[in-house]
Amino acid sequence: MTDGFWWLLLWGTVAGLDLVSAGQVMVGRPLVAGTLAGMLTGDAAAGAMVGMTLELFALELLPVGGARYPDYGPAAVAGAATAAGVPGVLGLGPAIAVALVVGYLGERTVQLVRRGNSEDARRNRIGLDAGDPACLGRVHGRGMLRDGIRALLVTLFGLALAAVVRRWLPLDLRGAVLVGTVAVGAAFAVAAAGALRLAGRGAARGWLAAGLVAGAAWVLAQ
Amino acid sequence: MLTTWVRTLIVQASWNYDRMVGIGVAYAMEPLLRDLPGGKTNGRYAAALKRVAGFFNAHPYLTGMAAGALARVEYDGVPEAQADRLRRALIGPLGSVGDQLIWAGWLPLSMAVGLIVAVLASVPAGVVAFLILYNVVHLGLRSWGLAAGWRAGVGVAGELAGRVIHGGLRFGAAAAPFSLGVALPLVASWLLQDFGDSERVGAAVVGSLGLLLARVLAPTLSGVRLGLLFLGAAILAGWLWQ
Repeated sequence: MTDGFWWLLLWGTVAGLDLVSAGQVMVGRPLVAGTLAGMLTGDAAAGAMVGMTLELFALELLPVGGARYPDYGPAAVAGAATAAGVPGVLGLGPAIAVALVVGYLGERTVQLVRRGNSEDARRNRIGLDAGDPACLGRVHGRGMLRDGIRALLVTLFGLALAAVVRRWLPLDLRGAVLVGTVAVGAAFAVAAAGALRLAGRGAARGWLAAGLVAGAAWVLAQ
Repeated sequence: MLTTWVRTLIVQASWNYDRMVGIGVAYAMEPLLRDLPGGKTNGRYAAALKRVAGFFNAHPYLTGMAAGALARVEYDGVPEAQADRLRRALIGPLGSVGDQLIWAGWLPLSMAVGLIVAVLASVPAGVVAFLILYNVVHLGLRSWGLAAGWRAGVGVAGELAGRVIHGGLRFGAAAAPFSLGVALPLVASWLLQDFGDSERVGAAVVGSLGLLLARVLAPTLSGVRLGLLFLGAAILAGWLWQ
């Protein structure tokens, strides 16, 4: 069992709930969730690296309205659990692979929860249409419970997948470096596509270009 | 008012495709309606909850503004047909203003600042900087929205058109892409610092190819799918390469 399993399960559930149902204070962002998960596993550096990389994937998203978006909170927790204790960057690629699978699963399960909420609202139509506050509270509470169970199960699956990958992934040193390299490259592709979409076509694209120049100059100056 | 504010923090718990955030907004505004003359026995109490628990959508951080305004019109004795028109009229602006202000402005901006701090100081410092920066505005917006909605009632649209919101939109439209632009090269240098030169070139090639694919195949090929595609191929290649 992964070190700090129960804490990771709790943290992944909290991060999953933060995505939509509770707070949205962004503790479910990969940078936050991954970094804290790394601390919980005893490998803060691995968690930070997974969180930073996964955050690049998350930057493409604008979680507007009913849009579908991956659940990167539990994903970052599973990724940090995968990379914990693996030396250097060797754990990064498998960790991001696990995290993306978990994030994608989270995206699908959010749809299930929303459908469940719709069914619940239809079943309780009479109470809702009568303006019954008790009925409102029950339907709302069950929605929260549904999402909590979803976040818990997604995190549980993620931690199980992390354990399987850590034990059986058929990669040697070269393969692990290759997968890590591709993970970082793909993360930047997604982040750059997201930044371009955010900037659109007007003056904002000029601001993005100016920022890129400033950032690159900073890096080169170091 | 405090109970309503707390309830807006979980306003999306019952989000669904039929009513969207309607049930959540009704649940949040319910404590405000308890003080209507006659309390729960006042006919407007149940009528208002029924109306709002139908279809309603808004940015979650601005649902307090809707709850405040829609509760206020009940106190002001605004005719029910007009209250319903206000409810329907709020759906578009509260969604689009919130999306532009937060999802396309403040969130990417504060995350970019968090990433920059993470690279230049430490990752935990970046996390703390992001959470504080983001949530000062997030929680401030929730509080302001609820108070403004309650204060303005049927005139809530004027609050949305105010200088603060417009200034925030203009600032975010420039600062978010600029800060993301600064953050990306810094994060790239940080993430690739432990890789060799050939891996850095490889990451650049993969990044360029991925960007091309993401631009051509968007929105079908989302980021998570692109990542899974690339990493699946890399794991297969790494396995065969042994």
